[in-house]
Amino acid sequence: MKVRIRLASWLLVAGLLAALPVSAHHSFSAVFDAKKPVRLVGVLTRIEWTNPHSAFVLEVRNKDGSTTTWTAEGANPGALSRRGLKRGDIKIGDTLIVDGYLARAGGKLIDARRVTLPDGRVVSGATAGDGGPQDAPSPSATGVR
Amino acid sequence: MSAVPGWVVTLHDLPASVALRESELLFPVLQTVHVLGVVLLFGGIAVLDLRLLRLLWPRRSPAAVVTAMLPVSWMGFAMLVASGLPEFAAQAVALHANPYLRAKLVLLSLALLNIALAHGTVFRGLGRWSSDASVPASARAFAAASLVLWSGVIYTGRMIAFT
Repeated sequence: MKVRIRLASWLLVAGLLAALPVSAHHSFSAVFDAKKPVRLVGVLTRIEWTNPHSAFVLEVRNKDGSTTTWTAEGANPGALSRRGLKRGDIKIGDTLIVDGYLARAGGKLIDARRVTLPDGRVVSGATAGDGGPQDAPSPSATGVR
Repeated sequence: MSAVPGWVVTLHDLPASVALRESELLFPVLQTVHVLGVVLLFGGIAVLDLRLLRLLWPRRSPAAVVTAMLPVSWMGFAMLVASGLPEFAAQAVALHANPYLRAKLVLLSLALLNIALAHGTVFRGLGRWSSDASVPASARAFAAASLVLWSGVIYTGRMIAFT
C-alpha cells in the first residue's frame, strides 16, 4: 500500500514536470531527443528574440500540400548576435532551413542547432553548454519535413 | 496547466520586462550581479556559521567574526534582490509555476525566518561571545540550519534552469 502511494506520488511529480511550458530555461535533454534529428524548411511567421532562448516560428509545407506551424527554439539573442545572426538579419516571410532535434514530448517543437539563412549563411542556433549534441545532425540523417 | 495569473502577465508585459527579455547584454549582466550577490551573501554567512560551529578560525573571537561578516552578507542580499526581481519579471510567464522556483522561495523564507529567530533570541547576547565556551548551543543550531537552508536556496535556484 505504502509503495503504491509512493509510486503514485512520483508519477504525479513526473506528470507535473512534463506539463511545464518549454519556454522556461532548460537543458537540451530536458526537452529534446538527440535520437530524433529533423530538418525543417519553412517560411518565418514570427520571431521571438528573447532570453534565455529565442524562438523562430515557421510555416512548413508538407508533402500533401498542407502546412504545419513549427517552433524552432534557439540560443539567446546575445549568443546569436555574436555568431553573426543579428536581429535585423531575418524578417517575416523569409524562408529558413533549420536542422535540429524533435521535442521528447512530441508536438511541433524542435531545437534549432543549425539555421541556414536566406542569403545562404549558416549559423549555429545551439545553446552553448546545454548538454545537447554540439553539432547539428547531418542533412542526410534528417528527414526533411 | 492552469491559467497564468493576471499579475504574472502584467509583470511579463511591462516595457522594462520586455526590454530585459530581449536584451543582448543586460540579461547576462544581471545574472552576473546575481552570482556576485551569492558570493557575498553565502561567503559572509558561511564564514560566520562555520566559525560558530568551531570549524574555522579557532583563535578569532566568534563575536568579532559574526559582526564583521553580517554587513557583507546583507550587501550580497541587496544585490540578489535587485537582480533577481527583474530577472523574474523578464520571464514571469515561463517561471511563475516553476517547481524549483517555488521550492527556492519556500527555502528562502525559512532561511530569513531562521535569521529573524536567531537575532530575536540568542544572538542578542552576541557581544559576549569572546570564546567558543561563551557561544550557546542554540546559536550553533541556528548556524547549522543556516548553512543547510542557504545551500538549499542556491541548489533550487540553480535547478530553475534545468527543468
